[in-house]
Amino acid sequence: MTAALAHYLDVATRFQAAPEQASAPQWLKRLRADALSHFERQGLPTTRDEAWKYSRLGSIAEGTFLPRTEAPRDTAHLSAVVERLGLPGPRLVFVDGRLAPELSSVAGLPRGLTLKPLRDAVREDGELLESLLGQRALAKEHAFTALNAALLEEGALLRLAPGALSEVPVQLVFLTRGDAPVLSSPRILVVAEESSEATLVETYASAGPAGSAATFTNAVTEVTLGDNASLHHYKVQVEADAALHLGALHARQGRDSRFASHAFAFGGAMARNEVHAAFAGEGGDATLNGLYVGQGAQHLDNRTALDHAVPRCTSRELYKGVLDGQSRGTFHGLIRVRQDAQRTDSRQQNRNLLLSESAQADAKPQLEIFADDVKCAHGAAVGRLDAQALFYLRSRGVPQAEAERLLTYAFAREVVEAVPAGPVRANIEALLALKLPGAAQREVTA
Amino acid sequence: MALLTVRNLHARVAGKDILKGIDLEVAPGEVHAIMGPNGSGKSTLASVLAGRDGYEVTQGEVLFDGKPLLELSPEARAAAGVFLAFQYPVEIPGVGNIHFLRTALNAQRRSKGLEELDAMDFLQLAKEKSKLVQLDAAFMNRSVNEGFSGGEKKRNEIFQMAVLEPLLAILDETDSGLDIDALRTVAGGVNALRSPERGMVLITHYQRLLDYIVPDKVHVMSAGRIVRSGGRELALELEQKGYGWLGLDGAKASAAEARR
Ligand SMILES: Nc1ncnc2c1ncn2[C@@H]1O[C@H](COP(=O)(O)OP(=O)(O)OP(=O)(O)O)[C@@H](O)[C@H]1O
Ligand SMILES: [Mg+2]
Repeated sequence: MTAALAHYLDVATRFQAAPEQASAPQWLKRLRADALSHFERQGLPTTRDEAWKYSRLGSIAEGTFLPRTEAPRDTAHLSAVVERLGLPGPRLVFVDGRLAPELSSVAGLPRGLTLKPLRDAVREDGELLESLLGQRALAKEHAFTALNAALLEEGALLRLAPGALSEVPVQLVFLTRGDAPVLSSPRILVVAEESSEATLVETYASAGPAGSAATFTNAVTEVTLGDNASLHHYKVQVEADAALHLGALHARQGRDSRFASHAFAFGGAMARNEVHAAFAGEGGDATLNGLYVGQGAQHLDNRTALDHAVPRCTSRELYKGVLDGQSRGTFHGLIRVRQDAQRTDSRQQNRNLLLSESAQADAKPQLEIFADDVKCAHGAAVGRLDAQALFYLRSRGVPQAEAERLLTYAFAREVVEAVPAGPVRANIEALLALKLPGAAQREVTA
Repeated sequence: MALLTVRNLHARVAGKDILKGIDLEVAPGEVHAIMGPNGSGKSTLASVLAGRDGYEVTQGEVLFDGKPLLELSPEARAAAGVFLAFQYPVEIPGVGNIHFLRTALNAQRRSKGLEELDAMDFLQLAKEKSKLVQLDAAFMNRSVNEGFSGGEKKRNEIFQMAVLEPLLAILDETDSGLDIDALRTVAGGVNALRSPERGMVLITHYQRLLDYIVPDKVHVMSAGRIVRSGGRELALELEQKGYGWLGLDGAKASAAEARR
């Protein structure tokens, strides 16, 4: 056993044995204990594991991260950060993996929507949680999902009653302060009942000064969409340079349901984002989009898995990467079309723009098609800025850095503009503007 | 003082000598036409003047407004007042025509210590200038040249020139591929920009353009050199007799082709 595995086992064992957990419901104790044994059996993945071939675990594998055992204090000064990242509407804010009630507010929650901290849901919605937690994200198949479940305590429940409609986005903000090597393990559960529709934004950011300690976020989101339900899900990850981030979203889609996932990965030394969508009823529609923008030594890893298990479902995937410095981006997209899934219509595209000689992009589409009456297309491309276009812009007086920025944005905007116009898109545009190469330069010259 | 002075300019591309000693002097207010068979180096000269990558100047010098030009970056040349209308304008999907042009103009203004134009003022200016070449407002909101027809691309080049108001405009075959109405429009736009302080270099294959934009001087380029210079009557003579008349080897065919 590696020292790191021993460390995480020790962390989880102590968490589960802590006196304040004695009063936890039996089903939760069992879920955590089972997850711990799944984690122990699987161990930490290495690059020898196919699914982790391109992921550099970095200091996750050194095992120094610890969960916060106390509620966060002195969070008032973080409200400015929350305002900058925040959207108008109800939100829950977590600091170093723990709920920060004074930064959170569920005021203005539309009728038919329930948003509550997972701790409250454990008390108040035990039956629902027991029946759904761990059903989409399987601890027995994913080591880090098992670790998340073994430490399951914080997070949120978003529940949409049948027919409930929300125009306002619901936001979950996860901040890390970087004053200690903190491990956060949020679990988010979304239950959208028949014909409901809502927008959920998960934002992951750092609140500490530059040069703060590395933090490790290991987030799991489970989504259950009822028949004809619709969820617009946004993940905006803008953590600090030193942050390590693993996120896995698993959605199960009922008949005629619509699921749109937009994943923006701008931050972190190593960030891996997984999105899994499984069709459980005919007529479902899934859109999986992503934009990853790396510089320095960032390593941004994206994985998608679509399970076309039933006929007549549609999926569209567009992932784009912008990679500068020595950064590395990967995209691995699995599309499985099972034997029964006739009339599947699936399209996947991954495109990468390399801005430096040493940046690197790897694309790995993986199609497993067992039905015969299907439409499946995929494409992957890696390119550089067009020298002709660059000269054209410069010959009109646009300075090189600004010309590169214009062309880079031109490449990335397709993913941004797939977000319907409104506060969510404006928020993403602003964060992207700060992230694109040359952002600082333009401010100086302006 | 001359606006542009080119002295004994030699340049090579991909290890091949293309320009083999160009001398050219353009005074403020003058319009020069450069003609010559395909492959004689006209676009290469334009590219070297605008600062395109990949061209190695092996001899000679270029002064713009009395200062060495070749050491400047393309954007610095633009800010100094050099404008090249491309023979083949580039399509740039995702970059809005109007946003790009405002960025360009404001960058030039910044480098001159002038205040930047805000979006409203710029739009006003752009609207005015677009009338000059009858470029529909719809084009301004599209991506740079994307899906534009050949003629629309050329009009967009002149529109940009009108907004940027350069001191020296080099128009590389802006007339090629234009039907007669479009040619008149473009020529009208160019003429409107003629002024005592502005110099122009028109690269063209067709005397027809010079009926609309009357040049002060005409040069004939061949195999990387200017082999003949004269007044506008030189262009007329070329039109009648072809390049063969100048004793240019192997140039007859391309001249004939050019006249078609
Ligand atoms: N990048 C390059 N690599 C190799 N040869 C080149 C390159 N660019 C230009 N040339 C060559 O240089 C010569 C001059 O080309 P140039 O485009 O300047 O001619 P031109 O006079 O503009 O011709 P046209 O009338 O057809 O536009 C040609 O023989 C061309 O093939
Ligand atoms: Mg040419």
